[in-house]
Formats: sequence, C-alpha cells, structure tokens
Amino acid sequence: MSDKSLVDIRNLSVSFPVYGGILSRKVAEVKAVDDISFTIGKSEIVGLVGESGCGKTTVGRALINILKYVAPDVEIGGEIIYHFDGEDIDFTKLSSRQMRKYRSRVQMIFQDPYASLNPRMTVSQIIEEPLKIHTDLSLKEREESVHSLLGKVGLRVDHAGRFPHEFSGGQRQRVGIARALATNPDLIICDEPVSALDVSIQAQVINLMMDIQKEFDVSFLFIAHDLSVVEHISDKIAVMYLGNLVEFGEAGQIYHHPRHPYSRALLSAVPVPDPKQKERERIVLKGDVPTPMNKPSGCSFRTRCPLAEQSCADNIPILETHASDHWVACPIVKNEGVK
Amino acid sequence: MKFLKKQEDRHISILRKRWLKFKTLKRGYYSLITLSGLYGISFFLPMLINNRALVVQYEGEMYFPVFSGYIAGKTFGQDVPGEARYRVLKELFKMKNNGNWVLMPPYPYSPYEDITMEGNKMYEPPSTNHWLGTDNTGRDVFARLCYAFNISISFALILTVINYIFGILIGGSMGYFGGKFDLFFQRLIEIWSSLPMLFVIIIISSILKPSFLLLVGIYTMVNWIGMTYLMRAEFYREKAKDYVAAALSMGQSNFKVMFKHIFPNALVPVITYFPFSIVAGISALVGLDYLGFGLAPPTPSWGQMLDVGLQNVTKWWMVFSPVSAQFLTLLSIVFIGEGVREAFDPKVYSRLR
Ligand SMILES: Nc1ncnc2c1ncn2[C@@H]1O[C@H](COP(=O)(O)OP(=O)(O)O)[C@@H](O)[C@H]1O
Ligand SMILES: [Mg+2]
Repeated sequence: MSDKSLVDIRNLSVSFPVYGGILSRKVAEVKAVDDISFTIGKSEIVGLVGESGCGKTTVGRALINILKYVAPDVEIGGEIIYHFDGEDIDFTKLSSRQMRKYRSRVQMIFQDPYASLNPRMTVSQIIEEPLKIHTDLSLKEREESVHSLLGKVGLRVDHAGRFPHEFSGGQRQRVGIARALATNPDLIICDEPVSALDVSIQAQVINLMMDIQKEFDVSFLFIAHDLSVVEHISDKIAVMYLGNLVEFGEAGQIYHHPRHPYSRALLSAVPVPDPKQKERERIVLKGDVPTPMNKPSGCSFRTRCPLAEQSCADNIPILETHASDHWVACPIVKNEGVK
Repeated sequence: MKFLKKQEDRHISILRKRWLKFKTLKRGYYSLITLSGLYGISFFLPMLINNRALVVQYEGEMYFPVFSGYIAGKTFGQDVPGEARYRVLKELFKMKNNGNWVLMPPYPYSPYEDITMEGNKMYEPPSTNHWLGTDNTGRDVFARLCYAFNISISFALILTVINYIFGILIGGSMGYFGGKFDLFFQRLIEIWSSLPMLFVIIIISSILKPSFLLLVGIYTMVNWIGMTYLMRAEFYREKAKDYVAAALSMGQSNFKVMFKHIFPNALVPVITYFPFSIVAGISALVGLDYLGFGLAPPTPSWGQMLDVGLQNVTKWWMVFSPVSAQFLTLLSIVFIGEGVREAFDPKVYSRLR
C-alpha cells in the first residue's frame, strides 16, 4: 500500500489448538482471528471494535509478536509487515533473537491496570526496564528519562518510588502509558485501555493519550468493545466479528454511513450526545455469539443478521471496496447499493 | 493499618509490610530470634562445649588445642597415651602454680568422649559437672544435645534449600514453558511419587554407609516434588498476567521474566512452606536415626539419643533430654510458621493479636 503505511496486516489468521483425550491430541481449534487484512498508517489512529471474545486482543498480541510466548502451540498464518526506516520486516517470520531489536518499536497498553504492572516493582523500576534493555543510558540519564516521562503522563516525580498498589486505576494506567512510551515506539497498541476505569476518569486518560499521540507522533491501534470510545479519536475504524474483519474504512464514513449490518447494530447502541438530534433507531441483534470453536459456515454473522439470506451460508464474504477507503465484507449490502 | 507507624513507612513493598506484620506477632517473632540466635551460636560450639582447651600456657609457650587439633599428652609432660587430658592438666597446673595454665571452654566436655577417658562414668545423673548426666557409654548428654541441635537444623536447612532449588527450577519451568516439557515432568513426578520412599531409603542406607550428604541426597529425592508442584502452579498463574506480557513485549529474556518478574510474585508458598519443610527435615532425621538408618555413630543425634534413652527408660534424663529438645525446637518452628501464615493472610484482623 502507500509509503505512509506503518504496518500491513495481510491474511492474518491465529488459531489456538484444543487438546483432549488420553493422548492429549489436538481435537479442535479456536480460530480467534480468521484471515484479516488491514493497514495502519504512520501517525494514524486505527480503532478496532467488536464484542468481547471476537479476537481483538489476539490481533494486538500478534502485532507485538508475543502470542508464541503466551500460548506455545498457537498457529499463526499470514503476514504482518512493518515498514521501519525503509525496511520491510515480517514479524511472523522472525526468530525470537531477530525479534529482539524490533521490540522497542511496538508497545502495548493493557486492559487491566491491576495486572499489567508488576506488584513487586516500583514505578521507576517499571518505567526504567525498557530503557535498560534498549538503550545504554547511564543510571543518571535513565532517572532523568523516567522523571520526564512521569511528567508527560501527568504523574509527579515523587511517585517514582511508589509501588503500584498505592495508586488508583487511572494512575496505574498512566504508569502503563509511560512504560509504553519509554522506548519511543512507532506503534502503540491500546487494548481497551479505559474499559476497566471509572467513567469519570476515562475521558482524562483518553485525552492524555491523544495529547501523547500528537506529541510523540506515534501510531495507535485503539481497541474497544463499542464504538462510543473510538468514534471521536480514530482516523480509521475496523470492525471485527468472531475473528473476521467485517468492515474497515475511514472513521467518518463508518460512523455516518455504516454498511455492514453488524456495524450498524454496533453503532445503533451508541447514545447520541446531542439531545436535539433524533435517537438512532436501535437494532437489537437476536441470539448469542457463536463460539469461535464452532463457527457457522459461510458468513459467520449470518445466524444473527437481520438481512441474512440462504446464500450467506455458502461463501465466506471477502472485504470489497464500497467507496474509496471503505471496505465491507457483505455481498448483500453491496448489491443494495449506496444509500 | 496498625503496624505502619511512621509516615515514611508508606512506600514499602508488600513483602516488607508482611515482615512488619510478622514482627507484631510476638510468639513467632521471638521464636524466630531465639532459634536463629541459638543456631548462630551453635557454630561456635567447639569453643563453648569441648574437652580441648582454648589456650594452654606451658613452659613459656602458648598452644591453642581447639584450633590446632590433636596435641599429644607428652607435649605437656603428661604420661598418657594419645591426646592430652586438658581437664586433668588444668587441675595439675593450678596445684603446681608454676606459671603454666590452661583455659578450658565454659563447658569442658565433648560429645564424643566416653568412659575410655578417665573421670567419665556411665549413667551419671545430672549434676553441676554433667548438667544433663551421662549416657550408656559415659558421654555427656548436654554436649551431645547441643551438637545434635546444630546438625538437625543444618540438615533441615540444607535439605530445604536443595528442595527449593529443584522445585523452583523444575516447577517454575513447567509452569512457565508449559506444553511438552510440562507434560513430561508431570508423568515423571507421578511415577516417582508412587514409589514407596521409606523402603527405598532403608534399602539405600543399608547398602551404602549413611553420611550426612547421602541422607540429604536421599531425602531430596523424596521431597522435591512438593515444592515443584507449588511452584508450577504459581508460575502458571502468574504467567497469564499482563505484566509478563509487558515484560516479554519489551524484549526481556525468558530467564529474566522468570526470575525477575514472576519469581518475586511466587514467593508466598516459598516462605510459608519454609517452616514446615524445616519441621519435616528435623523429624525425618530423627526418625531415620532412631531406626538406625541415619547418621553413622558416634555423630551426636537426637534420634540416636532417643533410641538409647528408650532402652534405659529408668535413667529419666536420657529420655527427657532429647524429647524436650525436639519438642521445644519443633514448637518454636511451629510458632514461626503460624506467624508467617498470619502475616501473609490478607485479612487485617488476626486471631493472634
Ligand atoms: N491463549 C489462548 N488459548 C486459547 N484460546 C485463546 C487464548 N487467547 C484467546 N483465546 C480465545 O480466542 C478468542 C478471542 O479472544 P480475545 O482475542 O481475547 O478476544 P477479545 O480481546 O476481543 O475479547 C476467544 O474465544 C478466546 O477464548
Ligand atoms: Mg480483549
């Protein structure tokens, strides 16, 4: 794609084998991510939305290449091509030794601020760790960097000696942000960074992240389970359902003209902030999300889709261009034409 | 919280907080201080309880038998076979009063000297000379008791440390790496733990001459499994937490992740299990010594003392001494264990205060 792209994800598939029986043989697999492709541009914010369990965290973990550590038996297909300094590097092909030097360039902010900081380390030890691994800074210089990072995320210098259990959730998430920023990465994956926080604090943390994104000129993959958080901040939005990417495009397009029936349902659940504006018509989906171990044939959304037809069971729909910068995986709405 | 008195105590790690809480539980804390104090002192026993003199001044020359070891009696003009008899020498020099003198340790009897040394009698009841009397071969019971204390605790400590090293390395790797490695060791442990270990130990120690290190080795073979299972569970649980993912995603090596990140968070079983492991180690040694499969005689040991004591029940001091020494030691370790458990209990209100 264009030379402004930072990472191209091509046909990424991730499945976790399920073992059973006396001999512990593979009896099934969880297809957490199923053949998805999209691009994150340089200094771009891409929102990734979908119900919980649809594979968002797995995409994020694939992008920082730690799935093999988390689940040693995982099977990963496709390509994740990063464009660093004119080089094209496919993370799925790197050995763990080769991977080491790129670790500083992609970082993650985690969903649960209570589990993502080591309870035995002080804040300064936590933020210092990536600097120790990736730079040759002296103790003094590292201390200065830690203090400046603390300032950037709105914490005080005297917080440096404290332990995580002395902080609130919002403050912990700020520590997590500082740690992710320490190596000056090109991409930060924010895995539902505010969903565990009080509503009153969510906006503060999001505003902080937006300021940081501008200041550090870093790309964000911003994961959320509904559209209300990502709609205002993203340049592009990707909608996932049960491991598949069902719609991808420019944020305004998706927000104002969602095409895929699942995106429409997601959007209809977002409250309208302006009271003068008419409430959106609420689309309530029928049924439960099928398990990724046992996906429906053809389009995985067809069991809950209000527009489903007989033909939906036959082929897995692929992403097709609907407008410039807008891709939808649904042949039915494609035939419907642009409304 | 009550045990956090000063303001600056606020930025303290969880482990330090637990230590402060442990200190408030007097019974366990004082037991820990007493026991570790006594154990520390017991390394200087050769200078405190010994039949070799600390210093001998003879004909203008100084001798240090405790440190230099064997010195023949002839050296000091004593007409005895083999080593000098320092207690006799002391009396002799005092009587002659010609500038020669002997400085004995505070308790001048050794755990090894029996009736072959003059002045020693069998079955002597407790007196100011022999505080806890003498046994069936004329050895001083108090001296043996003290030396056996050091051996018992050292045995249990070494055993525990070795078990911990195995448990942490193997169990930690099983939990951390999972997969085939985990599966292989699980099966191995299942087979291993179904062996009747007491018989294995008895067979091995009746073939080989039991020594301190052999017994440690044998007991490690039995006991590493407990710690391994605990550590496996800890590492397995901690590995799934996001701070591990964060450490991996910044490029930390597996070794560092295991020992810098996960291990400090897996300390709870390591610490709370420790007193029980010591109790088990001491009891195991006593049991083996009692059955005669333990340390080779004449090494002083509680089990062996109990054995000869029970053969001579009428000599109450021979039974009473090893039993109460064990009782007091095990009791204080149980107190320590109780305090540790309490300190690691997340509930603030405790029964013990
Ligand atoms: N380590 C793993 N082993 C097995 N299955 C997993 C693992 N991680 C995730 N999954 C499965 O993959 C699917 C997607 O999970 P996840 O990416 O966490 O979803 P989300 O972040 O969107 O809630 C879920 O069905 C989950 O059970
Ligand atoms: Mg998730």
